[in-house]
Amino acid sequence: MAMEKRLIKKGELAGIVGRIAGDMSLLAPVKEEDNVLFELVKDGVTALPDFKNTKNAPKSFFFPRSETLMRYIRKQKGMEFAGLEKDEQGERVLFGVRPCDARSFAILDLLFDQDKYKDPYYIEKRNKTTVVAMSCAKVPYATCFCTSVGGSPTSTDGSDVLLTDLGDEFLAEFLTDKGKGLLKYFGDKTADAQADKKKEEIAASAEKEIKTSIPAKEIKGFLDANFEHPFWDTIHKKCLACGTCTFMCPTCHCFDIQDEVKAADGKRVRNWDSCMFPLFTKETSGHNPRPSQKERWRQRFMHKFRYYVDMFGPIACVGCGRCVMSCPVNIDIRKIVADISKL
Amino acid sequence: MQNPYVPIPVVVSKIITEVDTKDIKTFRLSFVNKEDEENFKYIPGQFAELSIFGKGESPIGIASSPTQKGYIEFTVQKAGQVTSFLHEMEEGTPMGVRGPLGNSWPLEFLEGKNIVVVGGGFAFTTLRSLINYMLHEDNRKRFGDITVIYGARNPGLLIYKDELEEWGKRKDLNLNVTVDKGDPSWKGREGFVPAVCKEVAPSSDNAVAVICGPPIMIRFTLPVFFDLKFSKENIITSLEMRMKCGIGKCGRCNVGHKYVCKDGPVFSLAELDNLTKEY
Ligand SMILES: Cc1cc2nc3c(=O)[nH]c(=O)nc-3n(C[C@H](O)[C@H](O)[C@H](O)COP(=O)(O)OP(=O)(O)OC[C@H]3O[C@@H](n4cnc5c(N)ncnc54)[C@H](O)[C@@H]3O)c2cc1C
Ligand code: SF4
Ligand code: SF4
Ligand code: FES
Repeated sequence: MAMEKRLIKKGELAGIVGRIAGDMSLLAPVKEEDNVLFELVKDGVTALPDFKNTKNAPKSFFFPRSETLMRYIRKQKGMEFAGLEKDEQGERVLFGVRPCDARSFAILDLLFDQDKYKDPYYIEKRNKTTVVAMSCAKVPYATCFCTSVGGSPTSTDGSDVLLTDLGDEFLAEFLTDKGKGLLKYFGDKTADAQADKKKEEIAASAEKEIKTSIPAKEIKGFLDANFEHPFWDTIHKKCLACGTCTFMCPTCHCFDIQDEVKAADGKRVRNWDSCMFPLFTKETSGHNPRPSQKERWRQRFMHKFRYYVDMFGPIACVGCGRCVMSCPVNIDIRKIVADISKL
Repeated sequence: MQNPYVPIPVVVSKIITEVDTKDIKTFRLSFVNKEDEENFKYIPGQFAELSIFGKGESPIGIASSPTQKGYIEFTVQKAGQVTSFLHEMEEGTPMGVRGPLGNSWPLEFLEGKNIVVVGGGFAFTTLRSLINYMLHEDNRKRFGDITVIYGARNPGLLIYKDELEEWGKRKDLNLNVTVDKGDPSWKGREGFVPAVCKEVAPSSDNAVAVICGPPIMIRFTLPVFFDLKFSKENIITSLEMRMKCGIGKCGRCNVGHKYVCKDGPVFSLAELDNLTKEY
């Protein structure tokens, strides 16, 4: 069956967003001080008609910064299980996700939704959420490099609906059954071959606009062969081990599990953690298999460009550039890839 | 969907203090629900997360053998937050367990072969599980000669003393217990594990060595087996990395592209050669 496509007038989009937001929770890019963040659209909070990308990666809607896994309560002889935390939110729509960030969902699915161990917290939220992505008809940042890591400004990976700005109109492509659930909001103007052609042109010109091209796939052979190499002694030198890069990253998924306990009850929570922190792998005995920032940086890099590829296929970087923009000491993952390719 | 983060309710049914220094205890846990007991199917070499609400979780090797029915056992050294709390517990206290987790000693691969088990210190736990499994009357004939070399710093630090005595009486097991330094009442062997291995290890013909112990013991024991021409495929060990989730999600315990919690903790030396040296 051919894919359902609709054309909507530019001016209609705000109304569509409003109607969906009236029926279910809808999160969209909203201006918050000088940042753009995903927020619940409601009275007084409107989705931005035009934006580059959100400051934070939207992974937090499936894998929150801090999440209660279960609760327990004090009984006579100690704490006993008192139930899971119910996800009170119903169906929701993440509206205006950039294709790189949507791809991060597809990449994280491989980990959280594996055959053997399924992560029910992540999967439940993922199942309840329809992802409406917005193509980058204009490439937002000079730091973008999605095309080097398997994505593109019009990539559909991880999205249920893809919107593309064709100039006067938006093309809406309904990619999954979940996406088709939103068809009724988009009117009945089906897209014609001309719209498809226009989209292809826009996709091609957007790809050309991307300034950075790095051989991210090509360095795999070097990484496989050079766990030990003098190069690893260079990257981390100015790193502050602040963890910002991992918290901003849409594909970083490492977490810690902690108990938060009061006198009568408590909860077990998981919190984002970071391979950039010395304590991450430190054992009680004091032994640390990654004793310095050198090993930690190598781990972060190898995890993205070698281990994740071996484990699941794709590179665990979507080229969003967030780590490049937010590192306080300007460590640039693109430059590391480029430098390695010259070794 | 099953929730792999929720612990199975158990009760501490027996606590055995193993060593003179009192910082290693064996905890026998009994399942609160019969069906949980039936579903907890494990193989020697696997581990579980011992879970105490309000304190946290610790990955600990399963020290009992699946041939022992009705309970599971863990031998725990007092170390930090969770293990110290465990050591304060009394029999009858409820707690939780998540597992079984990880791969296991490669039982099918071991079948029909002569087995040398080498253990040092309290890392003997999952080796004890393996030995009891192999010695069980349903299983003994599926394995060839069994040689066990087990060492501790001094006699007071040997764990499973009653069992060692029982094993010592058996004809179908060559047991060699050694201490670095004896005391006046010690009648057994004195000497380091590698030296004892050199003396008693069988030929590498159709033999597999299963080795687990402190890094220093491993470092000096491996050359003994290399000299005996044991191939790297036939030397098996178990790794330890800091863990949290135990199910390959939290990203903490990887060695190269393998998660020790999910793909390990058991690896052959040949497999370790293909991984990064970071453990
Ligand atoms: C596969 C495996 C099997 C093990 N088997 C045994 C055993 O049979 N007996 C035994 O006494 N110990 C064993 N250990 C080590 C044991 O897990 C740690 O000593 C224990 O987790 C320390 O926890 P704690 O809360 O007391 O210390 P804390 O310092 O409070 O530790 C905090 C948390 O960090 C993690 N952690 C810290 N050190 C380690 C470590 N070395 N390995 C894994 N996680 C760690 C745990 O999640 C722990 O709860 C094993 C470790 C692994 C990986
Ligand atoms: S590594 Fe950097 S560029 Fe790549 S996805 Fe993560 S934050 Fe974005
Ligand atoms: S953001 Fe920069 S300084 Fe901070 S941990 Fe990452 S690389 Fe190091
Ligand atoms: S303990 Fe979480 S990945 Fe192994």
